[in-house]
Amino acid sequence: MFVEGQGEHLAPLIWMRRFMGQYIVRRLLQSIIVIFGVTLLSFLTLHLAGDPTYFYVSERASEEEINETRIKLGFDKPLPVQYLNFLGNLARGDLGMSIRSRKPAIELVMERLPATLELTFFAMLISIVVAIPIGIIAATRRGTAADGGIMLMAMFGQSMPSFWLGIMLIIFVGLQLKWLPISGHVAVIQPFMEGNIAEGFGNLPEAIRFLIMPGVTIGLFSLSRNARLVRSSMLEVLSQDYVVTARSKGLRERVIIMRHAFRNALIPIVTMLGLEFGFLLSGVVVTETVFSWPGVGRLVTNAITQRDIPVVQASVVVFAVLFIIINLLVDIIYAQLDPRIRLR
Amino acid sequence: MNATRLRLILLISALSLLVAVMPVLAQTPDENTLIIGQSVDVGALDPASVNSRAEANIFFHVFGTLFEIGDDGVLRPYLATEYAISEDGKEWTFTLNEGLTCHDGEALTAEDVAYSFERAADPANAFTGNTAGFALPAIGYQGMRVDGDLQVTVLTDRYQTPNLRLALISEVYIHCKDSYSALSLEEAGQNPIGSGPYRFVEWVPDDHITLEAVEGYTLRPTNFQTQIWRVIPEASTRVAELIAGNVDVIANVPPDQIEAVNASGTAQVQAVAGTRRIYVGFQFGENFADAPGYEALQKTEVRVALQYAIDVPTICQTLLGTECERASSMVNPPNNNPNLEPYPYDPARAEELLDAAGYPRGENGVRFETVLMGPRGRYLNDANVVQAIGQYLSDIGVQTTVDIRDWADYRQLISPKEVGPMFFLGTGGGTWDALYDMADLSGPDAGTNYTNWNNQEWFTRWDSLADIRDLDQERTVINEMLEIFYNDPPWLLLYFQPDFYGVSNRLNWSARRDEWIVIYNATLK
Repeated sequence: MFVEGQGEHLAPLIWMRRFMGQYIVRRLLQSIIVIFGVTLLSFLTLHLAGDPTYFYVSERASEEEINETRIKLGFDKPLPVQYLNFLGNLARGDLGMSIRSRKPAIELVMERLPATLELTFFAMLISIVVAIPIGIIAATRRGTAADGGIMLMAMFGQSMPSFWLGIMLIIFVGLQLKWLPISGHVAVIQPFMEGNIAEGFGNLPEAIRFLIMPGVTIGLFSLSRNARLVRSSMLEVLSQDYVVTARSKGLRERVIIMRHAFRNALIPIVTMLGLEFGFLLSGVVVTETVFSWPGVGRLVTNAITQRDIPVVQASVVVFAVLFIIINLLVDIIYAQLDPRIRLR
Repeated sequence: MNATRLRLILLISALSLLVAVMPVLAQTPDENTLIIGQSVDVGALDPASVNSRAEANIFFHVFGTLFEIGDDGVLRPYLATEYAISEDGKEWTFTLNEGLTCHDGEALTAEDVAYSFERAADPANAFTGNTAGFALPAIGYQGMRVDGDLQVTVLTDRYQTPNLRLALISEVYIHCKDSYSALSLEEAGQNPIGSGPYRFVEWVPDDHITLEAVEGYTLRPTNFQTQIWRVIPEASTRVAELIAGNVDVIANVPPDQIEAVNASGTAQVQAVAGTRRIYVGFQFGENFADAPGYEALQKTEVRVALQYAIDVPTICQTLLGTECERASSMVNPPNNNPNLEPYPYDPARAEELLDAAGYPRGENGVRFETVLMGPRGRYLNDANVVQAIGQYLSDIGVQTTVDIRDWADYRQLISPKEVGPMFFLGTGGGTWDALYDMADLSGPDAGTNYTNWNNQEWFTRWDSLADIRDLDQERTVINEMLEIFYNDPPWLLLYFQPDFYGVSNRLNWSARRDEWIVIYNATLK
């Protein structure tokens, strides 16, 4: 409770508490449907591609041995029964055991998730930290050689397939120039999670060297897209009346750009970040393979080719949950940045 | 401090950070460390669950076996010193070396050998893969008997030619009872306690496995203190790591990168004719009776004619990047029938034979139409080889439609025999016994008789082998069978798949034909 006139500035906070809770609950309920949908889709896709039993028998196995293996692995049961069993277990937080490694599938995913997050966040960092200044430069110097050069590079960045870019980086930066390691990984998040703070910090310089090439490979497309987005967003804002007013008041150009224009230009970029995260996560599948990065992307690729269905399902659930959380956070930040926007 | 100076300081700091980041990583292995790059990781480290060659390669260094299959196909004593066979051939008694131990110090005795077999065969453990799914069923495994501290007997339900049985028994990895019975299946899959020359140190999934030489191990050499088995799935990356000197041995060098490796000055490619038989199968199963070309392909004369239509040496040279000799049978040399010559490339002869078989060219130049199925992503340059074969067949008037599927999908059609009327395939073979290679066709209904071939002359002789104890007589029958196969071919014979290994110039090591990477005997130059 606050005295009229004294606590008016707290009104938005009270509103946020009231509506944010409802909003989050609603979004979490929606996420159950999303998870149900993606697991059903991946389950059906894997099974429609044929009987997974053949991936777990010797190429010389007899029909009898194949049948025995089918029963051992539970693939003899009707598909609806298999899926309902999976859902029942999922409700209890049990995503099943990996057929290949005989470990809980969720454990395998969580073991590799830190490596994937390191790569994804690093790529995201590159794509934001570089995209924003070059986008601003292109917008404020519209029509100049700098603008043209930046936009040309952005076009190249969006046109290059990440697989090809990765191989080129390996050949030129890793093999010819010997500036960076060709492949592999040094853990950063994992030691922190295990409480080895000193090891985590100690690994950091080495880890960055391993991160640069795969990070650029994944992040270049996003970087290019974000640079173009920042440029167009800035151009739009710079033509608004309040910017003209600020200029007429004699404010310095840097203040106009950073304080008045950039903050408003940031709104569409923040909206993109949630989608960006999903895009980068999907990008790791190829990049992790090229750079021998031990993340979820490779785990799920191998699981698909080996029809290790519990691992595929666990990966799908974890990716979906991550995507939902990130987008929820983005929505909340979005509302904070622009008071006109209300979460409903 | 003005803004310009501040910016300068920031720029210098950023550049310093960059320079700190840039220096070359000294990843080159030291003289005590050997690094091997494989394309896939292990699924688990349980010795009873071998699901891939990558797993077998690592297990072989961690676990001992009763006998060892040498690179020359000869079986040599390993944990066992000798064996004796009962009169009916069903019981095989092995005598172990004295003083064996597992890596945790537990004494390794006959009881542990028996346990290793029993654990793999136990249905409660639900193991899949080579040991439980192939090796034990193939020997007709019935159980084990411990005859003393150092004597253990493998009980089977039938006689089997000695080399074949010994090779199959040598695929069972031996581990200690007390160590493993204290572990859950999940624990056993993470922390192997071996009996071989190298002990397990660390497994970082999808990254590497580190092994360390067992001090005082006398049964096999341990020339390097440490072995690191790295997982590098992408072929170009593996090649780059080899050229950079960061790994010592890699498998599956792509043919188009052989020249780059050989020109690098740091490594060379070793090409070996592998033991995998690559062929095109003719489908006899009646479920394909309505498929195009099925009727024509039932005729022996037509199948023989097609053998002359394919220029195998040219396929090898242009698509596989190496010279190779065409296969004359399904059996790997030197166990094949020496009297059989590979079919030559002679398209005119192929056309003559097809005319004589009642399939002359029609007005449109086509004799008959058919379909050739094949995989992508399993064998060396497989999809391109399949395309080339399709073209060779079309050139002699057998209008061939090529149907290529991704390996993951194709794999599921093979065992149920749903491939045809012609299909491209490669099946693993061995160097130690002809019958191992011939076991693909152990019966008309055998799981590996993917063509459903049913030549009674072949199968009568196959059955007769069960009663033959004399090895010379056995060889005579084998040669007869291979002649039958040659004259009534269920396969369009192609080649033994060449394998390319990249080997660092600092290493003395020779690649084997049978896809195994056995590296404990490697030395520095």
